[in-house]
Amino acid sequence: MSTLHVLSHSPFTDSRLGSCLRLCGAQDAVLLCGDATYALQAGSAPFQALQAKALDVFVLAEDAQARGLSLPDWAKSVDYPGFVQLSIDHDKVNTWL
Amino acid sequence: MKFAIALFSAAHAPSSRRALQFAQAALAGGHEVVRLFFYQDGVYSASNSVVTPQDEQDIAQQWRAFVSEHQLDGVVCIAAALRRGVLNNEEASRYQRSAVNIDAPWALSGLGQLHDAIQDADRLICFGGP
Repeated sequence: MSTLHVLSHSPFTDSRLGSCLRLCGAQDAVLLCGDATYALQAGSAPFQALQAKALDVFVLAEDAQARGLSLPDWAKSVDYPGFVQLSIDHDKVNTWL
Repeated sequence: MKFAIALFSAAHAPSSRRALQFAQAALAGGHEVVRLFFYQDGVYSASNSVVTPQDEQDIAQQWRAFVSEHQLDGVVCIAAALRRGVLNNEEASRYQRSAVNIDAPWALSGLGQLHDAIQDADRLICFGGP
């Protein structure tokens, strides 16, 4: 049983990412889109929290690109067909609205 | 794979466009979208009175075109729509309001439609927030 957690809020304005990481099981994955992609800002607290958790981390390519973020090797970039595939690969999709 | 898609944000929110792109990619990948359910501020993504600046993408219009083209089941929560002044012909005359800003391909209906779609679909995907 695995869940894909989808985040779109900036990790610098609320505690969604922290709550999400606390709940994440070993099979779960995180998809960062919109301002949530700022969690991949190298060296930041959200970046370190994500790295420490060693989950599968995905990021919506267009959103990372729009923000000029360079991705660490543990984050995989996906397009929309990739997003659809991720939602199939996991049993549930939980969006942190 | 059967998808139910719930949208909680207005047409000007990036998440509305994200939901649309996801739905388009799902259909392009040979999957089925059993129902789109627009809830809370998502009702503004179905309103036909939205006027988008010329240099921006008109997401409400793109939703309308997408739903029409693929003959999808586009349901807008009636309670959420009424409280936000998004009315179809029937509701405008029922409550004696002058503006009608939702019509085909959208249908106003209840939350039961979301529950029903979740039962029918393999996956529920929600979009909202920024």
